[in-house]
Amino acid sequence: MSSQTSRLKTMKLEELLQRSVWDVDEERHIEILKQEGLRVNALILLCPMGCYSIAGDKLIMSYEGCVECGTCRVLSRSDQIRWEHPKSGRGIQYRYM
Amino acid sequence: MRIVVGIKWVPNTQAVRIDPETGTLIRKGVPSIVNPHDLPAIEAALRLRDTVGGEVIAFAMAPPPAVKGLELALGMGVDRAILITDRVFAGADTWATSYVLGNAIVKIEREYGRVDLAVFGQETIDSSTAHIPGQVASWLNWPYAYYVRDIQVSGDSKIRIVRELEEYVEEYEVELPAVLGIAMRALKPRPVSLYNKLRAKLDKNVIITWSNSDLKLDPRCVGLKGSPTIVAKTIDMPEVPRKKEVYKPRDPRDGAKWIISKIVEDEKLRELLVKKLWGE
Amino acid sequence: MNIPSKFDTIVVGAGPAGCASAYLLAKAGFKVLVLERGRGVGSKELWGGKAYAQPLRDVWPELDKEAPIHRWVSKERFSLVWGERALTIEYKLGRKVAFTTYLTELVNWMARKAENAGALIVDEVRVEEIVVKDGKVLGVKSGDDIVYADAVIDAEGVNRLLLEKLGLVDKLSPDHVALGVKEVLSLDPKLIEERFMLNRNEGLAWFVAGDITLGLPGGGFIYTMRDSISIGLVLPIGPAARAAEKGLLKEHVSSLVEAFRLHPYFRSFWREADVIEYGGRMTIEAGLKLMPRKLYMNGLLVVGDAAGFLVNTGYTIRGVDTAVISGKLAAEALIDAFNNGGPTEENLKSYEEKVKKSYIYSELKNHSGIGDVMSDPFFFQKIPQVAVKAASKLFEADYEEPKLIRSFLNAAKEENISLLKTIYKLGRVAGKL
Repeated sequence: MSSQTSRLKTMKLEELLQRSVWDVDEERHIEILKQEGLRVNALILLCPMGCYSIAGDKLIMSYEGCVECGTCRVLSRSDQIRWEHPKSGRGIQYRYM
Repeated sequence: MRIVVGIKWVPNTQAVRIDPETGTLIRKGVPSIVNPHDLPAIEAALRLRDTVGGEVIAFAMAPPPAVKGLELALGMGVDRAILITDRVFAGADTWATSYVLGNAIVKIEREYGRVDLAVFGQETIDSSTAHIPGQVASWLNWPYAYYVRDIQVSGDSKIRIVRELEEYVEEYEVELPAVLGIAMRALKPRPVSLYNKLRAKLDKNVIITWSNSDLKLDPRCVGLKGSPTIVAKTIDMPEVPRKKEVYKPRDPRDGAKWIISKIVEDEKLRELLVKKLWGE
Repeated sequence: MNIPSKFDTIVVGAGPAGCASAYLLAKAGFKVLVLERGRGVGSKELWGGKAYAQPLRDVWPELDKEAPIHRWVSKERFSLVWGERALTIEYKLGRKVAFTTYLTELVNWMARKAENAGALIVDEVRVEEIVVKDGKVLGVKSGDDIVYADAVIDAEGVNRLLLEKLGLVDKLSPDHVALGVKEVLSLDPKLIEERFMLNRNEGLAWFVAGDITLGLPGGGFIYTMRDSISIGLVLPIGPAARAAEKGLLKEHVSSLVEAFRLHPYFRSFWREADVIEYGGRMTIEAGLKLMPRKLYMNGLLVVGDAAGFLVNTGYTIRGVDTAVISGKLAAEALIDAFNNGGPTEENLKSYEEKVKKSYIYSELKNHSGIGDVMSDPFFFQKIPQVAVKAASKLFEADYEEPKLIRSFLNAAKEENISLLKTIYKLGRVAGKL
């Protein structure tokens, strides 16, 4: 729940994410398999939902805010990132798009 | 074994926002979902059926759009689903809701035969009272166990259940019929399957709708009229301002210690915790 | 369990292409199953905001009366922006060509049409494999369950997991796709009409180029909905990723969209608006290059985004009408095939022929050079910069106002662009736009 207003104030990504709706699956549908050779900066800056971030010396992926767009998939090989759609209708639930 | 599993169709609270001007909840555009805590309950019922045979019936007291939630339960493998829907049921508190649900179980027994077990999610994300399973047990005069994580059949008309509490694990043998509240995240719910979902869409008899003309309950005992709860006042909790602190730990243990120092206020407890974790 | 052992056709994906196919096949009396991975229909849909009506009317003549149309586009605007300055041209349309709506709503309507025609739509099911044996498509698989059909229509969208598994397409290259990032801003319809000077039920489509993309190829869009405004950016992924790696792009894409929303020129149109949804999707940049090696095989047809059928003209992206038409052509080819011995490879060939004769293919070909234009800094950077600069010389002169041509020449000179190069470049792309 959030009560911040967005009018004419820059919203941080975390605030923007609160405006969309997910039914998050317990099971992750996207997973980093291998760190070597990942296009780290591109993934961090271009994943529109900011699912990629650095923790320590590793890139991590938080699938909860994923909109299943496929950007990280085209920026990596299948042995680097496992990419599937969520099951059972879970994941992003767009309403006004 | 015949197992019924209660389902609540709740607003996805993640999507609920507070109007910054009026301070009220914005419900517009908030999609509903099956109460996430009901999913482990469905899973528990299905596992039991898969081992000992029988059938699982999902039931919900809700307006018609909740059919979507029952479809999800059917997609997971529930055998049939009953939507209990009537304007007279609207506005019910947990007392009036459990009264309808308890009577629905009685009717299920009349229609389909003895019900051995009624399982519910321990609580719901929209109200978190955890009243319903216990109240249903009271109406039916059945034994009730809650925070249940595991169920095994242990003989004729008996089950053995495991309750996991913060400090210890309890095992009980429970006479059937009984009501169980299944602990949150106790079991990982299975995904919707293609065949089950197809059946839910194709078999017209798989979802049954009951109104109060089927249940024949006294209108004074259901819905808003049958609800003794009075909401006297609601208070907006002031939003706790969040402070951001950045700490660069030397190593993971140092980081963990720092977090403990932030979240455990009591000094004695803190020392005990650190000692228990790292022997320092 | 009384599951029909076999369907005539299974459609994978209840988007515009899949729904159009399912609708026409069901209407012709075929047993159609549509499998959709989302909850309900439309929950995974995101687009810019504008659809061209006539191709949709080809499938649903009742479109104007029944479809959830928010506003008929009566004005098209184009802006070049640089810093706080903006140069805008506006065109007032003379007839109802395109409309704005939420795609989530529009596909819901399309799916209802298909359902009412007799198609069975099953949601919350993720198809994981198209089942093939001896070169013939037998059906689809999800988990351990297989459902059989005489034909499968692949309408899975831009992420072609199934076609890749089949070997019909290669993995997408970042240089063939773009990232769309979008915000929906709620605004009172009266304010929308006042601010954009629109009549009731009339809408505006606005394309923006310039430094809102922070020097990256791409552009911005604005569409007025019934009681909201959709804004966003489309950025080709290849160049954006390279910029991120070289340190030229330092900000997250969401802050680019936020800067666009709060841009001093644009924000005055939606001052009171609140962001009610934020999201993103991948879109096709180079349609022709994404076309599968074959649009059909024994028992399979590929439609919509999965087939690369999205036309990017540089100033507008057309994907929904092309999807619907490809769905229509696939349904027609399939009905012919069913009436002539079945959906064999030989019988389905007519689909590819139909596509190649349609406007989809000629449009894709006509605009196939747009990728080069879009990724040339001359066009997404220099042109807006020079145009805005020239306008500033014209309109921000305190004493002496230069002649029109002089202002352009001086601006070009300051930006190190020769007139000859400009003419040469424009001449080269004139055929591509």
